[in-house]
Amino acid sequence: MSRIAAPKAAPVSKRDPRTGVVQSQDDVCPVCKSARYMNPSLRFLVNPECYHKMCESCVDRIFSHGPAACPIKGCGRTLRKHRFREQTFEDIKVEREVDIRKKVGATFNRREEDFETLLAFNDYLNDVEDITFNLINGIDLEETNKKFEAYTRAHGKEIEENAQMAVQERQSFSAAQKLERQQARERREAARREEEEEKREVEENRRDVLNRLASGADAETVAKEGQRVQLKKRMDRQAATERQRQLQAAEDTQSERNGRFIIKGLRTKQKPEPEAPVDPFGGLRLVDSYFTLQDDYIWEGIQEASKDIKQTAGGYDVRDYAHRSLVAAFSGLGVFVADEMTQRGQLAQNDCAVSESVGFKDAEMISAS
Amino acid sequence: MATSPALDVPPEPPSKRRKTSQDPPSRNESPDIGTVPSSLPAVADLAEQLDDLERKKYVKGQKLGSGQYADVFSAHLVSDPSKLVAIKKIKVGPEVKEFGISYDSLREIRFLQELDHPNIIKLHAVFSTKNQNLNLVLEHLPQGDLLKLIQDTASITYTAADIKAWMLMLMRATHFCHAHGILHRDIKPNNLLLAADGSVKLADFGLARAMADPFQHMTYNTITIWYRPPELFFQAQHYGGAVDVWSCGCVFAELISREVLFRAWPETEINMVKLICEKVGTPMEENWPGVSKLRGYVTPTDIVPLKPKEQWFAAFRAVGEVGVDLLIKMLTLDPRERLTAEGVLRHEYWTSDPRPSKLRDLPRKGGGEKAMGQDLTQRGGELPRGDTGRADRVARKIDFGAGR
Repeated sequence: MSRIAAPKAAPVSKRDPRTGVVQSQDDVCPVCKSARYMNPSLRFLVNPECYHKMCESCVDRIFSHGPAACPIKGCGRTLRKHRFREQTFEDIKVEREVDIRKKVGATFNRREEDFETLLAFNDYLNDVEDITFNLINGIDLEETNKKFEAYTRAHGKEIEENAQMAVQERQSFSAAQKLERQQARERREAARREEEEEKREVEENRRDVLNRLASGADAETVAKEGQRVQLKKRMDRQAATERQRQLQAAEDTQSERNGRFIIKGLRTKQKPEPEAPVDPFGGLRLVDSYFTLQDDYIWEGIQEASKDIKQTAGGYDVRDYAHRSLVAAFSGLGVFVADEMTQRGQLAQNDCAVSESVGFKDAEMISAS
Repeated sequence: MATSPALDVPPEPPSKRRKTSQDPPSRNESPDIGTVPSSLPAVADLAEQLDDLERKKYVKGQKLGSGQYADVFSAHLVSDPSKLVAIKKIKVGPEVKEFGISYDSLREIRFLQELDHPNIIKLHAVFSTKNQNLNLVLEHLPQGDLLKLIQDTASITYTAADIKAWMLMLMRATHFCHAHGILHRDIKPNNLLLAADGSVKLADFGLARAMADPFQHMTYNTITIWYRPPELFFQAQHYGGAVDVWSCGCVFAELISREVLFRAWPETEINMVKLICEKVGTPMEENWPGVSKLRGYVTPTDIVPLKPKEQWFAAFRAVGEVGVDLLIKMLTLDPRERLTAEGVLRHEYWTSDPRPSKLRDLPRKGGGEKAMGQDLTQRGGELPRGDTGRADRVARKIDFGAGR
């Protein structure tokens, strides 16, 4: 027995350059049994309905004329052609899980900023993960689907808003990246130009010196002169770059003001809290706790006044009077100053009950008399 | 007191007249009475001391306004100069010797002491200075009043949402008064002051009174004439909160169209009745059962039918259909049909679009401190000064009808 395990007759395999899925010469379409060996351009497609693999030509053949049942034995689910797509992951289970996660993620797209605390956000993520896990593994499928749909229905607007926000963010991010790339290219270009310029100048200077030497000048002074000129030019250049830099800084701040400058890592603006509905009473609640106002009271003062057209035609309402009288009669009931002074905080329950019952009795008496 | 438009409050016994100073001195008085007569001046001193204590809490500043009836000063707390107040000093006229303190100021103190609401001016304290001068320490409202906002058409614009916010604050204040059995009886734009934060504060309770018992007469000669409801022109002596709701309706219409709704000129009652007939409809038995039984009812010669809803809408479309519906219900002729203050607050107008503006978005600049000073010096029931221009120079007509 050899100590080195003989490599198995590894199938000649390579990765698809586009999708990264490993392709093997042995791949066989489970429907038509055509192999890659015979047909090198064989492409496999899956439908997220059942994830059964079949070749492109089979898909064309079976589903071109509208929805049909899956040809794999024992499946028979109705599939549509437009849902077929190329597999991204080699493992079909992973493919399915990613699909489910995409779907769940598109619905449960809340952000951390939506939550008051990190804990709340984490709880939410945990719930979402529970749903996802159930969907992937087929646990309580019915219930989970119901929950999912209920959430979609209840929060449709927010889901859309968050999705839009994500799109916007992606767009602004890619725009920022594009801008950055362009700036970098411009900077490189400028540096290259500058270098060339410098080279050219040095060359020119050298030629100048040579020319002067050729015309018979003193070698030492010419060399010195050349050096001075070069130095001066370099100084000039430095000043120029300095100026350029300042200009650039000014431009930067300018563009920042114009809004072209984008700062990364900013939080998206907090959405204003939905306002509470208007309360016309401004929180004022006037409740009669000790009596209920009757429509009519049998007391001649009230009776006569309510029959006197001179009083009622002017808008005088005896019910106002009755109400006021009752309020006056019961005002102060249930308020025990001494008790409140001694045991503020824990109001004696019994006293309250007693006073309440007294109040009710009195109210009945008045309305009956 | 012949000039006072309201004479319905029975003169109080002299012993009550001095009640305006705080209670504690009177309570301290009782044990001392039996002892030595020489202690009496000491008791008076104690009252004076308490008064002094209150008075010395404030530093009086510049005079903001001066009227026939009162002066208003700006002031601040000694302990905290940033806490501003307005001090209304009621002037002592010759009638004080005879009648004591005027009813207007008594009413103002009596009701403001009781009412504590964000949209009603606060009365912080009352003290007297030498020779029984009354000083009311009121909330400082530096943004002027609604009238100045309404009249300043050149530089101030406001929206339907602003109108809704102001009206909501006004109606809350009115409802609060009515729920506590108090009729304000002088609601008009220059009694609606604006606080620093832009909120409306109902002020000037000089004509207010508690709701009456059955058979108790109230005066019909109250409320500034342009804002007076028809039942008062017909001399009804028994009325309820509906009179204030009519005034609120007038303010509502004035806020929308930026001019007084019933601007009778000259401002006589007969002209007012004519205007109301013209703009709302002629009050008759059909639309107001029992109106002909009222004392001042005059059988109309030419009858104007009730104005249809479309015409109201054409004139006040700025507040939308719901707003116009509310306006019509607030300006209903029959006070029994008119909405109560609570009914107004229950109307769907408040909860419909647009939402009332936030306080910070409301326009202010209603004339500033000076306007507050001017408003607070006014006596109840007076038409705003300097408003009509001519009004100041025309001699007031003597109203013979009121004396009956």
